[in-house]
Formats: sequence, C-alpha cells, structure tokens
Amino acid sequence: MYGDLGNKLVQQAKRTQNLAHLPPYQTEIVRAVTREVRDLDKDVADLLEPFQGSFNPASDQATACTLLVNHLSMRRNKRCLLAYHRTRTDRLEELVWKGYDVVDLAGQQVGDGSGNHNGASGTGNNDSGTSSLSPQEEDYVRQYSDLLAAYKGQWTDIDLTGSLEPPRDLFIDVRVLKDAGEIQTEYGAITLTKNSQFYVRQGDVERLIAQGYLQKLS
Amino acid sequence: MSYYDIDAILTDAEKVPCKFELEVAELGYLDHNPAQPLKAGTSVGLPLWLGELLALASRAPSSSEEDSKSFISLNLPSSLSNEVMSALKADPRAVPLRDQSHNFYGLGTRMLDLFDEREICAILRKTFVTRAADIALHARKAGATEDMGIGGGEEFLRGLEEWERKLFKKAHDGTKGTKEWMEGIKKY
Repeated sequence: MYGDLGNKLVQQAKRTQNLAHLPPYQTEIVRAVTREVRDLDKDVADLLEPFQGSFNPASDQATACTLLVNHLSMRRNKRCLLAYHRTRTDRLEELVWKGYDVVDLAGQQVGDGSGNHNGASGTGNNDSGTSSLSPQEEDYVRQYSDLLAAYKGQWTDIDLTGSLEPPRDLFIDVRVLKDAGEIQTEYGAITLTKNSQFYVRQGDVERLIAQGYLQKLS
Repeated sequence: MSYYDIDAILTDAEKVPCKFELEVAELGYLDHNPAQPLKAGTSVGLPLWLGELLALASRAPSSSEEDSKSFISLNLPSSLSNEVMSALKADPRAVPLRDQSHNFYGLGTRMLDLFDEREICAILRKTFVTRAADIALHARKAGATEDMGIGGGEEFLRGLEEWERKLFKKAHDGTKGTKEWMEGIKKY
C-alpha cells in the first residue's frame, strides 16, 4: 500500500533516536518513496486530464475520492521523508557541537556500533569503511561546521564547545592514540607520535581528546 | 505534537476499521484486490492518516434530497473495543497495552478527538494514573538492587506502550541522576 515505505523510514528514524551512533543513510528507501510520490503525482495528472481543468467533485465522487487518497498518500510520504531527514540532521548538528568534523563522521564504519561517544571516532582516518552519511549530509555537516566555527569566532576567549566540567588539574597526562602531527602550545611545539606520552596543559589538548587522538590518563 | 514528531507519525500509521460509503473503481488495492473496484460497504483497515481525513472530508450532495456524507465511516479500532475497556476497568495493570497498540494512548487521544466517548476517556485516564504509579515504582527499583536483574525489568517493559516506556526511562534516569548527585556531594 502507498505510504508503507515511508513508514519504514520513520521506523528507522525511531531506531536512530535510541542509538548512540548514526545508522547508514537509507538511500534505497528514500529513492523508492520519492518515486512513489512521482507516480502518485502522475496518477493524479492522468485522472484529471480528461476534465480539462473543470473537475467538479460533486458530479464524480469516486474520482474525487481517488484523488483525495492519492493526495493524502503524497502528503504522508512528504511528512515521513522530512521527519526522517530532520531526525538525522538534528543528530548531525549535535555531533558537530560535540566536536566531530566531517572526516570523523564520514569515516565512521557502518558496523561501528560501539556506542562510545568519546571514542567513536576511533576509525576517523580510515577510508575503507562506507560512510553512513549521504553525500548531501556530508555537505550539510561541512557547512554547519563552518557556520559553527564562524559563530564561535566571535568570542575568542570562550570555547563554546568546551567541556562544562571544571578541570581538576591544570596539567594532565595524555597518551597519543594516533599520529596527530605537531601542535603549538604555550610552552613550545610538541610532536604527537603514536604511543608516546606527554604531560601537557589540559586546555591545549582538550579538542584532540574529544576527537580521539589522545587519551587522558588519570 | 509537532509535524516532525516521530511518535506522532507512527501513531498516524495505526490502522482503524473503515467502511466505504461509495464504490470507487481505482481503489481496489486498499482491499488487496487491485483488479476489482472497491465496492460500497466494504470494510477495510486504513491507517489513521488516510482514514481520518477521508471520514472528515464531506462530499457535496449529488442531489438536493441527499444529505452530504463522507467517503467512509470510521469505527473504533479493536484496541479501544469493549473487551479491552472492560479488561482495563477490571485491572489496568493486568493488560499488556503494547499488544493492543504500540502507541495506545496516542491512538486513544486521536480517536477521542473524533468520537464522543466519555466512558473510554475516563477509563484511559484512570488506566494511565494507575499504571504510572506502578511504572514509577518499577523504574526506581530497576538496577537499584542487583538481585532483581535486567530480566525482570525487561519482562515488565514488554507490556508498556511507547509513552509509558518514555515515562519509565525518565523515572529511571531521574533516580540514577539523583543517586549520582548525592554521591558527588559527599566527596566535598
């Protein structure tokens, strides 16, 4: 029946709400639903064609009923599509605020359901996995990140996406989980090579911890 | 209720029994019979998003002596039938609402917008209040004592519909949050 596929999308969205990671984009179903809307639109056009724009619902009620059913099915599909995409974009925005960028998200492997928010980007630089984002979503994340960066740029002395937990110590021990190159700190440059350990100022490396490059040692 | 509300959309997909008041040639597929026209008087289960508006859209009378009618007449779904209502009246806690409908209260609210059934309304209200107390109790206990285990909680959750599950989760998270906070302040 019309609308069944749309329902499947919404069930996916419902599932997404309860998951820690973002499941893969349902390209096939989305395409099928849009195709259904196009077919319905064509049906409506075909039904109305013989009337030449002078359709009177009172005189042909069966046709009026069919038209209404088709119209409602299209509206339903539209709502399902919008709700599905909105659930995903909401989640993506949330992730961008948490400090993920498009490389982390796109690189996330499909089966990466570890559900660990802090370490979920562990596969960040791994290009072998299929992205769970659609190309449009990747673009969305990229542009949203730019917007957020521009917004944050207005206040250079406050990190809006920083941790809300007050730090206990100014300096912390960190271990490097993957090569991150050279970073500049107040006390000079540090080269972060894998498996090395450093005693650094927390403020300098907070973002790298969030991105999964470094691990905080307590 | 928002346009984008996933639960509202899923509630809209619940089937309600409808009776067609006129014959429609092209809609045979609604009765799983695309080759045949849909006869007047056929009863089909339609999702709420379709049935509600078909029932509300009044078609203009074809002749002056005929009253304006709608395309279909709507009936109460089986989850709000007399049997379920009397079971709920007897003991609200004994009925697994999820078996009736995943969005039982949502469906009830939507149907009561269309039907003037004061008794059902009263029963639903009483059911929720009685069950909510039970849910709060379970939510507080779940996870608090190890011996209760996860199994017992899952068994209980199975009978809850979507709204009640949310309530359960909120109550559970609330208890957990309070506990964490209490432990946190002791340290300083």
